[in-house]
Amino acid sequence: MTAFDSATLGVLGELLVNGVLFGSMYGVAAIGLSLIFGTMGIIFLAQGAMIVLGGYAAYWAFRLLGLDPYLTLVVLMPVSLLVGAALYQMLFRRAAALSDRNTTLLIAVGLSFMLESAMSLMWTPDPRSITTTYTSSGFEIAGMRLSVTRTAGFLVAIVATFVVTLFLRRTMIGKAVRAVSEDMVASTLVGISPHRVNMVAFAVGIALAGVAGCTLAATYTIDPYFGFLLSLKALIALALGGLGNVGGALAGGILLGVIESGSSYFLPGWGDAMGYAAFLLVLLFRPQGLFVRAMKKV
Amino acid sequence: MAGNRLYKSAAAAVLALALVPLVPGAVDHYAFFYLFLVFVHIVLAQSWNLVAGYTGQISLAQHAFFGVGGYTTVLIATALMDESGFYFNPLLLLASGLTAALFALAIGYPLLSKLAGDYFALGTLGFGEIIRIGLVKGGAATGGSAGVSMSSEPFETLLPHYLVGLLLAVAATVLVAVLMRSRIGLALMAIREDPVAAAASGVNVLRFKLLAFAIGGFLAGLAGSLYAFYVFSVSPGGFLNLSWTLYPILMCVMGGNGTVLGPVIGAFLMTAVFTAANIWLPGAHPIISGGLIIAVMLFMPEGILRLKAKRAGRQPAKSAAATPPGESSNMQRRQA
Repeated sequence: MTAFDSATLGVLGELLVNGVLFGSMYGVAAIGLSLIFGTMGIIFLAQGAMIVLGGYAAYWAFRLLGLDPYLTLVVLMPVSLLVGAALYQMLFRRAAALSDRNTTLLIAVGLSFMLESAMSLMWTPDPRSITTTYTSSGFEIAGMRLSVTRTAGFLVAIVATFVVTLFLRRTMIGKAVRAVSEDMVASTLVGISPHRVNMVAFAVGIALAGVAGCTLAATYTIDPYFGFLLSLKALIALALGGLGNVGGALAGGILLGVIESGSSYFLPGWGDAMGYAAFLLVLLFRPQGLFVRAMKKV
Repeated sequence: MAGNRLYKSAAAAVLALALVPLVPGAVDHYAFFYLFLVFVHIVLAQSWNLVAGYTGQISLAQHAFFGVGGYTTVLIATALMDESGFYFNPLLLLASGLTAALFALAIGYPLLSKLAGDYFALGTLGFGEIIRIGLVKGGAATGGSAGVSMSSEPFETLLPHYLVGLLLAVAATVLVAVLMRSRIGLALMAIREDPVAAAASGVNVLRFKLLAFAIGGFLAGLAGSLYAFYVFSVSPGGFLNLSWTLYPILMCVMGGNGTVLGPVIGAFLMTAVFTAANIWLPGAHPIISGGLIIAVMLFMPEGILRLKAKRAGRQPAKSAAATPPGESSNMQRRQA
């Protein structure tokens, strides 16, 4: 193998690894969207704004209190669970019962506008990032340099996916969430209260936004208007993985990360377009998602 | 039913609006600009109304057709037409609408033949984003993220914008009204209510969905062209902005989705709120707009003009009884 080849391989390997690491953040956001969509059918376009809000929480905790972003994560999780529950009760409780999808879509959009504008007014539109002692440090594995924060974000994403999967499989309320995603009417007939389930699903979805926000702020820069793009990315990841499939959502996010990082190297500037193209191809030819074996109607 | 009175007063309102420029000083007043903006929004809202309100296909790509219309206008005007010939050239408006309609056909054929419901909505969103990135990366042809400008030399007053806008808004509304009384409208509404039953009754579902999507694209392209004549330049940020889809949705839903005059009422009200918020609270404008969107959706999700043709009186609709614009039956979530 010539030196040139191994250098190319090294670049490809790094692109792949970076894509995987960053894509896991899309995956966490997509799992949140998936829970909210699965139970209530809401295309929650404000997910990205919630992620950015979580990112700002981590940023201010670091700036004002000196808290490490990964420590903030522990505090932010219960807080965002509560925020999610409150958001459901205030904004979506009534609308989730409507068959008209425009209503919930528009509420999410309205929420997104308000959050973006409020964050921009309070904290200025300047991009912010958390610079800790380890932000720029990295380590080498198999000749590839990995950044500490990206790797930490990846690990957080894996843990979050694992916890959500356990929650959905092992707990009573988690099983109820899955039942409602399968068939709302039938699960109501066997005595599941849809409002309670919706609230829990929504709260977990927002908590995942908080997780994604913390790792995002620790890894990259955030600004108030970054959220909308994140929502789109999470939607793409969701479609790639298949709606209503937790592991698939993470895999979809990782795949999107790889597609973007690869195409930003080979076709600079077209990374986003490649992501959307993959999204459309999957929607058209495999709408059940890439990572679902049996055909499952949503 | 709405009855003739509604349409008579609508005609009187149009006449009054056409006479507004005769009022001394009206052309220079801020309200004149507000009305122009209302007309742009009405055309866009009717475009969405036709596709989603009547046919039940929630499109999140109307801003892309709006952008295609605007770009067509500016690109043709700068490349092919001389200094004075392009200004409000009816052929240019028509070409912009038709180009957008062609895009709608090209996008709509693969999407509509394969996808329905939320998947269709997501697919249109994806196509819109691809068009936006294509324009950003279009290099010299599309001017990149800065966009393209055309000569603002012919501009004197807002009067031609106002009159053309009024004409297009009325034409779009009349078009929707006429379509919905024809067999085409019947087929579209049948598709919205139950695509399987419509197909079983001999409606070519794909063809009619495509037709509605293309006419919707045409109207959005016209609106984009009209708006391009006002700003004299196009850019991906200004034209391929999702707000140009979301605001019309808001106007339709607020006024009454799937009604002829609902989007018009919605356009007047929402544009008033946006304009007022923009004047008095420039920085906080999206907070007010976002809060208002949420309030409207929470407290009157059926819209002001939800005409309940099936029911005798005009009692307010119960939440679960609202007509679902989404189409498949598993979308209906009636919770206890």
